[in-house]
Amino acid sequence: MSAPVAFSLSQTAITCHAFNADRSQVAVCLNSNDVTIFSRAGNDWKVAETLSEHDKLITSIDWAPNSNRIVTASQDRNAYVWQLTPDPQTGKTVWKPTLVLLRINRAATFVRWSPNEDKFAVATGARAIAICSYDAENNWWVSRHLKKPLRSTVLSIDWHPNNVLLASGSADMKARVFSAYIKDVDSKPAPTVWGERLPFNTVCGEYASPAGGWVHAVGFSPSGDVLAFASHDSSISIVYPAGPVVYTIKLNYLPLVTLTWTSEDGLVAAGHDCQPLVFSGSEGGWQAVGTLDDTTANKGQGGARSGFGGASPVGKLNSAAFHTFRSADSRGVGGAPGSPTAGSGSKDTELLTVHQNTITSIRPYQGHPGAVTKVSTTGVDGQLVIWDVNAVAGLTARMSSLRT
Amino acid sequence: MDREFRKIDIDAYDEDVLLETELYEPYPYDPATALDQAKQRAAAVRSSLAKGDVPGALGNILDEAPYGPNVEDAKTLTLQTLVTILNSTKSTDIPGVVKSLSQDRQDTLMKYLYKGMGMPGWGDLSGSVLLGWHEKLTEAAGIGCIVRTMTDRKTV
Repeated sequence: MSAPVAFSLSQTAITCHAFNADRSQVAVCLNSNDVTIFSRAGNDWKVAETLSEHDKLITSIDWAPNSNRIVTASQDRNAYVWQLTPDPQTGKTVWKPTLVLLRINRAATFVRWSPNEDKFAVATGARAIAICSYDAENNWWVSRHLKKPLRSTVLSIDWHPNNVLLASGSADMKARVFSAYIKDVDSKPAPTVWGERLPFNTVCGEYASPAGGWVHAVGFSPSGDVLAFASHDSSISIVYPAGPVVYTIKLNYLPLVTLTWTSEDGLVAAGHDCQPLVFSGSEGGWQAVGTLDDTTANKGQGGARSGFGGASPVGKLNSAAFHTFRSADSRGVGGAPGSPTAGSGSKDTELLTVHQNTITSIRPYQGHPGAVTKVSTTGVDGQLVIWDVNAVAGLTARMSSLRT
Repeated sequence: MDREFRKIDIDAYDEDVLLETELYEPYPYDPATALDQAKQRAAAVRSSLAKGDVPGALGNILDEAPYGPNVEDAKTLTLQTLVTILNSTKSTDIPGVVKSLSQDRQDTLMKYLYKGMGMPGWGDLSGSVLLGWHEKLTEAAGIGCIVRTMTDRKTV
């Protein structure tokens, strides 16, 4: 049991993050058109590099651990694959972008490398998922589109460990499992619980969110035999395709927007409630078991927090901004909204959770698929937090503390 | 400056437009059957209420509540029946009743509370009664219940 470690990377929101293989660097998008790569320096993170090529907000980043390539997706309808290459003039190694021919007319919303890192999938607002593979002849990435039966923007995707199947969650309130089999890249996949013959664009499963919410997050279990999806109706569903049996947990809290499996019988999900919730179960049933954010523990002591200015009040939920303005109005205290000192010391506006605003991305940090021991989260409050998966606090303690 | 173009229904030119009806399963019964069912339920609710069985009455009305665009009569009658239950429950009984409901029933009840609050002055609706139920229901079912009311396209 160790306490979460929080780093305040920026005063702006972090839209997404991805670590490299040895976790010495992290690529984040600080709510801008650039990717910022931070390098670990002791107990702190220093800006190492900025990758500029996109001209609209970057929506998703993925860093392939073995081939050390970064792929980025943006609202400018483009994706780039970044690779470390020696610069011909200076000889220094720099990140060089390669264009991806996405052929879409709406924003790219989400991107993930396949497990073998020989292709990647880009979710888009054009009712399509682009499956991209490398064309050595032209030195670019070409894409094939998964279209049917997507009816709206795709918000998240996840690869099956067999490198062929792909799960998607979209704003038409459905989670789906597709085949993304590409003849030139993949060898013929072994039959799975999702199906036996899998030509491109086979729909292996379609599951609606229970009370009609956008499906924000999807994830295959480590074996790939189970699918979890979280939707905007504050629920999370776990699908066993054989039955099919779908377990739905309706939460009492705000919706979850991101999830990751930690083992075959457990997953961590987070979202608008600002804290990672732990779920566990098996084919017999699933339940919420607790939170990684023990709000009863005394935070802000010792060296748990570091970074620029510690617990920053900027980017907090609306009540914080409201209180800042009110105190500025009635008592003349507090600087301009957005300045690092605004509202500091006003304990009542600080949330009891570590993250002070929505968590937008959660990813495995330590361990291997099936036995993840630590996960990392980033959120709208500009923080990066590393959590110990086994430090689960009870839900009841949490509820009473939130009422205070 | 010509602003007429803003009023053009661009969906009419989209062959692949996403219709509201594709976002949820259609309500399985036709309007006449739905109204008949609502009438039967209203009768069952009255007999439950006569025995003082509020959870039983609520369970009757909240399961398989009519939804969708074509069953307005059944929806109105169901709301009317539900309002009778809400009005006739003592405020001290509300927390216990709300806690005894299943999660699906809690969600449906929340939908009706919001529907009621959107129709001030309708029938014998009383804002203070609705708010009293809303407070207790939120304590029992959390904000998630409200979120589901907001997102669900199966409007009652």
